[in-house]
Amino acid sequence: MDNEEAIDRPETRAINWLASVSGDVHFWVPTLVLIGGLLLLRWVS
Amino acid sequence: MGQLSSPATAPGPAVLERVRTLQRVGVLCGIAAGAWLGAAEVPTKLVTTGISPVLISFAMVAGVFLGRWSLPAMVRGTSGIRADIVEAPHLVIWAIIAGCLWSVANTLTIFAIRDLGLSVAFPLWNTNGLIGILWGVLFFGELHHAGWRRWGAVGGGAAIIFVGGMLLARASSSQIASHVAVRGIAAALGAGVLWGSMYIPYRKAYLSGMNPLSFVSFFTIGELGMMTALAVVYMGGFHNLYRQLSGAQDVLFWLLAAGFVWVIGDIFQQYAVKYIGVSRGIPISNSNQLWGLLWGAVAFGEFRGWQHGAVAGAIWGSVLMALGLAAISFSVVDNSEYLKWVEAAEREHRRYGIDIEFVRSGMEGRASTPPQRRTWLDWMLVAMATGAFVWTGTRAHWPSLALDGTAAIVLLALCLALLAACATALWKVTRFN
Repeated sequence: MDNEEAIDRPETRAINWLASVSGDVHFWVPTLVLIGGLLLLRWVS
Repeated sequence: MGQLSSPATAPGPAVLERVRTLQRVGVLCGIAAGAWLGAAEVPTKLVTTGISPVLISFAMVAGVFLGRWSLPAMVRGTSGIRADIVEAPHLVIWAIIAGCLWSVANTLTIFAIRDLGLSVAFPLWNTNGLIGILWGVLFFGELHHAGWRRWGAVGGGAAIIFVGGMLLARASSSQIASHVAVRGIAAALGAGVLWGSMYIPYRKAYLSGMNPLSFVSFFTIGELGMMTALAVVYMGGFHNLYRQLSGAQDVLFWLLAAGFVWVIGDIFQQYAVKYIGVSRGIPISNSNQLWGLLWGAVAFGEFRGWQHGAVAGAIWGSVLMALGLAAISFSVVDNSEYLKWVEAAEREHRRYGIDIEFVRSGMEGRASTPPQRRTWLDWMLVAMATGAFVWTGTRAHWPSLALDGTAAIVLLALCLALLAACATALWKVTRFN
């Protein structure tokens, strides 16, 4: 009961949502590729 | 917890028939995407007229921004876009990352075209299809349980694409100074990796049930934001950017138009990824390589002055790559592989708590909510985009490029025929869902 109420709170939902994103490999792979792309662009330009 | 379908149970005949129909539409979308994405690269030839590559990329992205808000507003309405984002707000992050990847990749292609030429640079960055296959297999269950024939088609196709790409790289390096060729090849291959990784957000969005027209609207925010940052950094501040934009008024229309044409191709590519997956949709839409070769060789006469052996190498390289892409494209999804797609969709449903009906209807190309009415905001977006094109059009001059007009008209007519066929199929089968 207490746990369910805690999960339903907006601030808890936001934390869960952020944790889901930051723990998702689908987020980190494109992010790292983007950083590599920016470095390559700096070199070729 | 609701499930899309049990992994142990095959989907019913009605669902399978629907999936097959959607796959046919997806293949058609991939073909139309290839034609339009190929045509969009043509105005980047302006790079040879002395305009900064970064400025060209920035102006193209501005055209893309106009297209990515006005076309979805006209076809579906901003209310529909809002309803989609409420269902899966986390996808805004992926849309923005994908937009950033697109901008950096597009800028790299401008440098690659400058150093290698359009007809050679194109196939090199089209290795993005291979990267897309890798991510599709690793992250989204594509080609899982696909059988040795489908794996053979995809693996053999990938090997042929690699050989074709090498032939083209050799052809380019024999015609261009080596240090320029290395830089150009690095830029083109880098663009391929960025674009290939951009399909992770695409596939994630469509397995979550997102409508492609909603996704591209937020995608373009990342795109324009990243491109503005790049333009300001590389051109030495806002003032210089503005000054150079003002100085390029006579070609601005063509660059905005290139961005707009790209949006049409990209939207078809998004539908292809949605209905046939990354590992098949991207290789098919990468037939833009052949359109690039056609535009470069036939309309712009890029092969003039090349030695016979180099031209033959470029042609054979392109043909090999096209054969590889065809082998991949026609390895259709069977029931067991489709169940793996369903499992990947369930992951998104569980991880982000997306409504199961939203996910299911998205995968089946149906609307989860009733159609929304157009509002004043939709018409205002369309009017603003039209105004921008009219304003720049009145200041446009034909760039001083050697272009075969007849060849250009024939290629354009083919693109328009594919646009009509694809839009009709999408409307009949999915109502653009």
